[in-house]
Amino acid sequence: MRARNLLLAVLFAFSSLAGAAEPPPASDFAWPDLANFLEQLIAKVGTPVKVYKLKIDSDGKVDLWIQDQDRPDLVDSYEYDHGVMSAPIPVKFKHYPTVAAVDHHVIELTTIDFQRLPSMLATARAKLGLPDARVSLIELERGDSHGFLTYSGIPIWTFFLSTPRHDGRVELNLDGKVLDADKD
Amino acid sequence: MRTRIEVASLFALVASAAALAGEVVAPARPLEDPAAVKAAFAARIGQPVHVLSFSLGEHYANAIVQNDAAPDEFDRYEMTPGQPMKDGQPQKNASVDCRKSIAFADLDLAAAARVLAEARAIAAANGYARPENVELGADVFCNDFGWRARLTSEANSDAFLEIVWAPNGTSPKARQMKDDGWAKVDMKALAAGAAKVPSAPPRNEPTPTRGDGRTRDFTQGIEADLRRLEAKIGAPLAFKHISVDKDQLSVDVFPPDKRKKIATWIVGSDGEIRLWREDDTIPFDCNKPFAASDVPLTQLPAMIAGAPALIPPMAHGWVRNVHIYRSGLCGAPHVFIEVEDHRGYGDVEYDGHGRLLKAAVK
Repeated sequence: MRARNLLLAVLFAFSSLAGAAEPPPASDFAWPDLANFLEQLIAKVGTPVKVYKLKIDSDGKVDLWIQDQDRPDLVDSYEYDHGVMSAPIPVKFKHYPTVAAVDHHVIELTTIDFQRLPSMLATARAKLGLPDARVSLIELERGDSHGFLTYSGIPIWTFFLSTPRHDGRVELNLDGKVLDADKD
Repeated sequence: MRTRIEVASLFALVASAAALAGEVVAPARPLEDPAAVKAAFAARIGQPVHVLSFSLGEHYANAIVQNDAAPDEFDRYEMTPGQPMKDGQPQKNASVDCRKSIAFADLDLAAAARVLAEARAIAAANGYARPENVELGADVFCNDFGWRARLTSEANSDAFLEIVWAPNGTSPKARQMKDDGWAKVDMKALAAGAAKVPSAPPRNEPTPTRGDGRTRDFTQGIEADLRRLEAKIGAPLAFKHISVDKDQLSVDVFPPDKRKKIATWIVGSDGEIRLWREDDTIPFDCNKPFAASDVPLTQLPAMIAGAPALIPPMAHGWVRNVHIYRSGLCGAPHVFIEVEDHRGYGDVEYDGHGRLLKAAVK
C-alpha cells in the first residue's frame, strides 16, 4: 500500500513536470521521463528506494545507483534510456564502502523533489550568467559543497552547464538553494 | 595611431565588401603575399581584436583572437590557401591559458614570412628538418611573446632548437634543449652553419631473445622464465620488483654492472625477453635488492589460484595482478595479490616464507 501511494505521488509529480500547461523554465532540455523510469524501477525493486547517486546526461539518459535492500552492502546501477530501463548493473568500487557508509550516503527517494529540476536549471543558468547554457550533466549525490560555506555530507544537486565559450557548475541543495557556483 | 585608424578602416571596408561578396577566399600563396593574408583574416574576423597566437606557413595559417569589445570572447580562425575562410570557432575561456597579445593592427605577417625563411635557412645549414611554420605567441610560462620557430631533427629525436623573434621580426635569440635544460645558442653560429644538430647517443640495447613458440600463463609459474632471464643477463638476478599477470612477466632488476640503475625486463606470453627501459634509481627509495631465494616462488601458483577463496565475499573473483617487492619501509619482500570481482577489489598478502598476512576486501 505504501509503495502504491509513493508511486502515485511520484507519478503525479512527474506528469506535472512533463506536461505542465505553462512551459517550465529551462524547458529546452530534453528531460527524461523520470515518472516512467521510477514506475519501472519500483515495480522491479519495491520500496524503499535509497539513492546512492543519480546522473542525467546531456542526452537525457539516466544512471541511478541504489542500495540493494536485500543486500545493503551492495549498490546496483539502473540505466534508463528513453523508456527502456536496464537490468541491474553491479557497481564496482575501488575501495568498497562499509554497510554503515552506504547507509549514511544514500538519500531516500521520497525526499527528492524532482519537480524542482527545471527551475533549478533556470536558477543555475541565471547564477552563471549563461542563459543559453546547455546541460552537460546533472548529478545528485551526498557530499561536501565546494562553496565558501561548507555543507558537509548533504544531498547536493550539481548542474554542469556549458556554452561554446564557457563551462560552469552550480551546486544546489534539495530545496533548490544555491550552495556554490563556478564558471571558467 | 595612424596605422590603427587605417586598419580599423580596413576592417570596416573589407568586412562590408566581404558581406557583399558572401565569402572570404584566402590567398593562394600566403608567404608571397602576407598583406593579402592579413586582409583575409581582417575580413573574416570583421571586428577589432587582439591576437593571442598566429601560425603561418605556406599550407596553413590560424589565429586565436580576443574580441576588443568583449574581452572574454576568444575565437579561432583558420586559413587554407585558395579556400574560402570559415567563421571563427568560439574557444572555451578556460582553454586560453595565456592572454598576452598584440593588437591585430600590429600583426606583422611580412616579418613572419621573413623569419620563417630565416629559420629554414638555419635549419638547412645546421642539419635540422625544415620547419613548416612560425608561430606568434608566448612560451609555456606565458613569457617571451614573439614569433617562434621550433627546429627538430629526424636523425636525433632528442634534438630541439627554438628561435624566437620579437613580434616585428627583430632581436632573434636561440636556445637548444640539452640534458640539463636549455642552453643559449649564438645566432651568428647558427647562420654560419656552425651549430649542427648534436648526434644521437648510441643505443646500447641488448638484442631481445625471441619467443620459443610456447604460450605461457605466468600465473602457473615464473621460475623457468626467471632462469632464462638470468642466463640472458649473465648474473644472479638482483630484484627490485616482480610483476606477474597471465600474459606478461615484468621484472625490475639492478643491473650487475650499474648500481644506480634499474632495468625493466619484459617476458611476453610467447617467451620473448626484451629490455623495456632502464632508469636511474630514485634517491631515498628502497634500492636494496632481493634474491629469488628470498621469496616463495615455488608456492606462487598455489597462492595465486587460492587467493580469491581467501576473501569470502570475493570467492568467485579472479586475480588481477601479482606483485613481489619489499614491504613497508624497505622490509622483507612480500607477495601482494590483487583480487577482483564484479563489485570491487581485494588484497591478499604473503610474507617471504609463504605465511598469509592479509586477505580482505579493499
